[in-house]
Amino acid sequence: MSLVRKLKPDRSITGVIIPFSIVPIFGLATLFFGLPVGLITLGVWMWVYSLFYLFVFIRTRNIAQLVICIEGIFFGFMFLVFEPNFGTNSVESQEFKVAYISGVIFFGLILISLVLTRRLKWRGREIFELAGESVDEAGNGYTSRPRPVGKVEYSPQQMHAFSRFCGRHLIALTYVTSKNITLVPIKMGEEFGRLLGLSGDYRDATWVNFDVNGEVSVHIAQKDYLDYREPLAFDQLCTSLGQVFIDFIELYNKGEGVRVIDRMDDLKLSFFS
Amino acid sequence: MDFQTAARYASLLSKDYAEDIFRLLVNYQAISASEVATRLNLHIKTAQDFLEALEQLDILSKEEILEKKRPYYRYILKQTRLLIDIDLMQVKREPSQNSLTSFIREKENAGARFSVARSDDYITSVTIWTGNGRERQERKIKLTTLQGRFLYHLPFPKAEPLTVDVIMEKAGIDESLAPEIMDMVQLLEKYNVIEALPEVPK
Repeated sequence: MSLVRKLKPDRSITGVIIPFSIVPIFGLATLFFGLPVGLITLGVWMWVYSLFYLFVFIRTRNIAQLVICIEGIFFGFMFLVFEPNFGTNSVESQEFKVAYISGVIFFGLILISLVLTRRLKWRGREIFELAGESVDEAGNGYTSRPRPVGKVEYSPQQMHAFSRFCGRHLIALTYVTSKNITLVPIKMGEEFGRLLGLSGDYRDATWVNFDVNGEVSVHIAQKDYLDYREPLAFDQLCTSLGQVFIDFIELYNKGEGVRVIDRMDDLKLSFFS
Repeated sequence: MDFQTAARYASLLSKDYAEDIFRLLVNYQAISASEVATRLNLHIKTAQDFLEALEQLDILSKEEILEKKRPYYRYILKQTRLLIDIDLMQVKREPSQNSLTSFIREKENAGARFSVARSDDYITSVTIWTGNGRERQERKIKLTTLQGRFLYHLPFPKAEPLTVDVIMEKAGIDESLAPEIMDMVQLLEKYNVIEALPEVPK
């Protein structure tokens, strides 16, 4: 199967910068205040990082986030234990080395597995690729208005269950009100801003909304629209994005949620994009 | 009575001295502008303008008096009862069948910003920019819920245009409410947010 990408290649490094900011922070803290302070900074930073992933886990119920959180707690703890005993026999003891190395191997393997199985991957790009797949006509016509795209005949309970499924598999971030369930697809690297509330109101982002009556409406942010290589017919793109989620909810309610994941995996997008 | 005449009545009646002048007019058989001015301590021009305006509205009549080669007017009250009666339905704009069947859609690159209601099923306001260069100004148009629902269902730019009545049907708006919708459509057409197409483009 030939894979024709509708989106421009992902050259954003935001998603990498934030976790790897730990390196210069450690370096600077060590340079200015010495290695013990550097190690404490590293440990505290790991815990802050863990807190973020704990928050993501609570928000999405994605187990992989909990694993990253535990990993951060473990390494943070190791750094903080390491600091007061630095240069002493206890750090150089076999027990410490075993605990540290076994931790690195265990969490390293889990992390690699989570990355390779895309369980840590926010699926925004897959969603946009799927939406663009069926749109061949170029025509632009962008508008910031949302578009009603159809109706689904599901109960609010079924829609809530689907939204939890979307959150659990990082397909979209869900925002639930008494009348609406709004799904906001997040691309890798955008999760920090969106989850920490730094990216503004979610209603300015791209979203698919299901109201209590099953009416489905779609809004595509201009930034996401410009991420397509070609100016796709906007009307069709909105319909297609809505249809992607309508297909997903149908598959999910037939008990074939795994097919949703398969459809996205079949796109074979990079693990980090 | 039309709006303009009613506005002239209202403007005259709102003057501080209006009641005093009418009191004089009611109690005097005829009175001149200078007599009114001196009696009420007004400027002669103020009294003159007021009486002239009443005369133009046919509330007073005037007769020219020639005295020592210098003519002047004396004003006589013609009506002892003033009625401001405006039929508000005269400003109702009933949409023509033509306007309801005209094809419309959002205009491409309109540059308008649409704010969506929390419930995500109607538009609350449209922000447009008017003027050019340093004169450019932002103008926010608040919409009623009905208008917002209509705009929510308006076809996108480049999408197949729809007639006004079809969009109203999609939005669940009764045809009797068309004047409210047409008012907004005409306004947004004026600001190039909506384009009307004479017929469906093939």
